[in-house]
Amino acid sequence: MSRGSSAGFDRLITIFSPEGRLYQVEYAFKAINQGGFTSVGVRGKDSVVVVTQRKVPDKLLDPATMTHLFKITSNIGCVMTGMSPDSKSQVQRARYEASNWKYKYGYEIPIDVLCRRIADINQIYTQNAEMRPLGCSMMLIGIDHENGPQLLKTDPAGYYSGYKAISAGAKQLEANNFLEKKVKKDCNLTFVETVDLAISCLSTVMSADFKSTEIEVGVVTVDNPEFRVLAESDIDVHLTRIAEKD
Amino acid sequence: MSSIGTGYDLSASQFSPDGRVFQVEYAVKAVENSGTAVALRGKDGVVFAVEKLVVSKLYESGANKRIFNVDRHIGMAISGLLADARQILDIAKEECKDYRSNYGSDIPTKYLSERVAMYMHAYTLYSAVRPYGCAILLGSYNPDDGPQLHMIEPSGDAFGYYGYAVGKAKQNAKTEIEKLKLQDLDCRQLLKEAAKIIYQVHDEVKDKDFELELSWVCAETKGRHEFVPKEIFEEVQKHAKASLEQSDSEEEM
Repeated sequence: MSRGSSAGFDRLITIFSPEGRLYQVEYAFKAINQGGFTSVGVRGKDSVVVVTQRKVPDKLLDPATMTHLFKITSNIGCVMTGMSPDSKSQVQRARYEASNWKYKYGYEIPIDVLCRRIADINQIYTQNAEMRPLGCSMMLIGIDHENGPQLLKTDPAGYYSGYKAISAGAKQLEANNFLEKKVKKDCNLTFVETVDLAISCLSTVMSADFKSTEIEVGVVTVDNPEFRVLAESDIDVHLTRIAEKD
Repeated sequence: MSSIGTGYDLSASQFSPDGRVFQVEYAVKAVENSGTAVALRGKDGVVFAVEKLVVSKLYESGANKRIFNVDRHIGMAISGLLADARQILDIAKEECKDYRSNYGSDIPTKYLSERVAMYMHAYTLYSAVRPYGCAILLGSYNPDDGPQLHMIEPSGDAFGYYGYAVGKAKQNAKTEIEKLKLQDLDCRQLLKEAAKIIYQVHDEVKDKDFELELSWVCAETKGRHEFVPKEIFEEVQKHAKASLEQSDSEEEM
């Protein structure tokens, strides 16, 4: 690993390298891949879906307590990829921001406003010397009153954007390539097609045939905008359908 | 890709080039230097057993406890830097007190574990402070949620477990725990198993003297976390020592 030009410029967040890069922020991105997890999000015509792996590292661990899908408000959910404690901290902050908005203005925070707020907070960590950036990426999903189904991703650099489909984590390059081929310009995917695409993307890049206990799926739909996690039986239905197609 | 920190390990607010925070990893190593603590979650309760290494014969027995009560219904066993852990204990007690003051009831263990984990995680973000060098095991029992066991690491990672061990002989103890069918054992049996594991994994050569600390929170104690009563403690200890001699003699054969 060539460390030539980074010598000395990568110790502190507030130092630019001669090429104008912030090395500590780039290292924070590497931290997202440490866990080896990959998450995929896909937006359909009337639904948004996020899928992530479920690897329980220890036989003694209670699997019910290990999840990467979190509810921020009843209608906004997220999947976290990266360092586990940093993820929980960011989820807490997002929940606080959403509640605070509801308290101050009397209506639910729009999903893009929430994403922007989290991204702005991430940016502060990249400029303040005393704190390090959080090593995690947040993918938010929700149904917006004006704009319909929304999928947004934010990262340690403080960048955020809305997507038709996106992935995060160890295999994000391969997953993004897969998604680019499958998602056409106007994505009119039905709910079932959206879930199938997200799951098959993950199984293709991980080269694994998943069982229903090995993945977690979170969805929001226009008919039912509440963020919910699919039960194992529902996941089985999708997995069987994908297997039969091949 | 260096696995030694050199230069990137001086503060918790620095990432290494491969995206690791070395100060947090070093804090986890600090936990491995202290005596083993084992926690088992069974059918009707949770049991803690701690190998308390005695460094001097001048200590009174029962001094420097490593199992504490956080509120009546939650027990906490600690491993690592004990002074750090006592700070965490105070924070946990504050959380319980505030919850009771706001909501009028016992704090759920899951909620307490998340709050304490977030607190410990906050110390892994700034360069002005260092991470806590201790691992926390929290256990409780109530008739509605059943037995609960949570473990919090210095990084702020917190999960629920069926059984866990932290400290010197963590790996050996976990191997022994995985052999047990924890969901079928009741509290009395758990006590025997936990004590047996502590005696088994205790390193006779490196650390001569140790005291066993046992506590439980289960249906039998009506959901209150308590140190095990003297008669039960002596019975369990005798059983553990006996099974150790039995396995020793089996090995000699």
